[in-house]
Amino acid sequence: MAKIDLSNISHTYNPSDPNPTYALNPFSMTWENGKRYAILGPSGCGKTTMLNIVSGLVKPSKGKILFDENDVTNLITEERNIAQVFQFPVIYNTMTVYDNLAFPLKCRDFSKEKIEERVKSVSDTLRLSSFLNLPARKLTADQKQLISLGRGLVREDVAGVLMDEPLTVIDPDLKFRLRRNLKEINEQYKTTLVYVTHDQNEAMTFADNIIVMDQGEIVQVGLPKDLFERPKTTFVGYFIGSPAMNIFESEVSSDYSVKINNIEIKTNSNLSKIKDKNVKLGIRSEFINVAEKEGQNTIKALLTRVEDFGNFKLLTANMGNFVIKSKVNREMPISNGDINLYIPPEKCCVYINEKLI
Amino acid sequence: MHKLYTFLKYTFITLWTVFIVAPFLWAISTSFKDFQSVNSKVTYIPWLDFEPTLEGWRVLVKSPARGGVDIVEPYFNSIFVTCTASLISIILGTLAAYALSRFTFKAGFVRNNDITFFFISQRIMPPIVLSIPFFIFLSTIGLLDSLLGLIVVYIVLLMPIAVWIMVDFFNRVPKELDETALIDGCNPYQAFYKVVLPNSIPGLIVAGMFCIIFGWIDFFFAFILTFTEVQLLPVKVVALNSSITPWWSLSASALISVAPLIIVAFVVERYLSKGNLSGALK
Repeated sequence: MAKIDLSNISHTYNPSDPNPTYALNPFSMTWENGKRYAILGPSGCGKTTMLNIVSGLVKPSKGKILFDENDVTNLITEERNIAQVFQFPVIYNTMTVYDNLAFPLKCRDFSKEKIEERVKSVSDTLRLSSFLNLPARKLTADQKQLISLGRGLVREDVAGVLMDEPLTVIDPDLKFRLRRNLKEINEQYKTTLVYVTHDQNEAMTFADNIIVMDQGEIVQVGLPKDLFERPKTTFVGYFIGSPAMNIFESEVSSDYSVKINNIEIKTNSNLSKIKDKNVKLGIRSEFINVAEKEGQNTIKALLTRVEDFGNFKLLTANMGNFVIKSKVNREMPISNGDINLYIPPEKCCVYINEKLI
Repeated sequence: MHKLYTFLKYTFITLWTVFIVAPFLWAISTSFKDFQSVNSKVTYIPWLDFEPTLEGWRVLVKSPARGGVDIVEPYFNSIFVTCTASLISIILGTLAAYALSRFTFKAGFVRNNDITFFFISQRIMPPIVLSIPFFIFLSTIGLLDSLLGLIVVYIVLLMPIAVWIMVDFFNRVPKELDETALIDGCNPYQAFYKVVLPNSIPGLIVAGMFCIIFGWIDFFFAFILTFTEVQLLPVKVVALNSSITPWWSLSASALISVAPLIIVAFVVERYLSKGNLSGALK
């Protein structure tokens, strides 16, 4: 258990190149002791590289890593006392389930009693107790992944447990339970958990703090609520939430309002200092309501599709070239043809060069 | 259709078995014949066609002073040289292969693949090209006509096989396995022998089998690099021949030469049939 500081870290896989491409652009970040973090981003955005830098499998091209203020940048993995679980099950084929779980403790010379106690506790949590004496290779893929997970959790004194999409191969029901187990383990042992995923629901339900990454860049760190309501870039707006945020090309018309298709929309953002008048307006479909008649901040649009999801209805409407999506209560009566959509000013996000104002 | 397929399959297997087994049966039969039974007319079955005799076998263990050709000593020489050279080749070759599979080497334009190819290229050369260099090398260090000298030469011949097979094998062992071991608290050496090596036993068995076969059957270097002090089995078997070809003792020696390889084949076959070689990592 430790506070993990990443200070000015950057990494490239081709350092000898005069113009190297960076898998991770320079960033600094602190992972507080005992908290749960989720790293969220599309494939190839540098999530795994970040984990490997923390665990020591990859040495960063630049920057420092501190565990509780101790510089561990030049320490090898073995000396860092960290646990990491990979996306696909990695088990020691030649050993039994028990020996697999005990291996990290045996490598660090724990006493026999301690090993037995820890293996028992972890195998109970993961429901592996009845398989302990079986050869690990005989288990199914998701059971094997539980072994990998168990090896990550068996040491109580680790600086942190890093998980790289660990639940990909596990069936949905068990996935849900395991996520809750991981939360319990975190609360019980105050282990710092870092969880890489590309599934936003997984990230949102698991973590205290979410780190959103794109193309080697950390675009936003925050609580699930912040990411949802105030995405810092249009990328976060697209990436988080289903459906993605509505984003419209627009033009600044006055200090607090923008124009879309010549319709004036008031926002709560102060736009008086903006030089470039071309901006983007972002609004979540959850916040767009159907209005009875035209008025301030309403848009008249042609309803093209209504999808009933059971608990809500998703409306798709066209206004010129713009497509607007709105999530409404499923009880709401919807008439065909033109509808008026109300855009609340306090929920509007204005983006200039894809960044939030 | 299915019946025809089964019929053809069994017919083919039967023919193939006859093709493989017939020479052995012929050799077994011949090893119990005497001059008369070999040279007068075609004979097959002992006691019916000819009177069996153990003379062909006795010659092999009798000392030359009593008119025999003692192949016991060459036989054990061969076993010793082959096993020692194979063992050392496997140990060195496995370490080299692990390094080539896991670490990136750069020396000028030379990369990992070039180094692996360099090992294999040792086997592309016709052996005769190496005969003079080896001869001069061994005579310079005083190991000509000695078991140790042969072991050194065989290591050079066998290690490329071990490297080649093991590089391919280690490349199929996921890198995450080593990484997990490092995370679990092994140092790189422990990760290798505690985790990667136990997972590679099938590969080691295959590499070992090839080393033993190639070491055991080599005639060329054994012939060139030894004279009187030390002799290996293949050389001795060839030396059995004389103006009157002793088919009976040649057959007997051929059979006992093949015996160790048949034992190796049975051992390896058990691993093959268990599916341990193909599915070791999934």
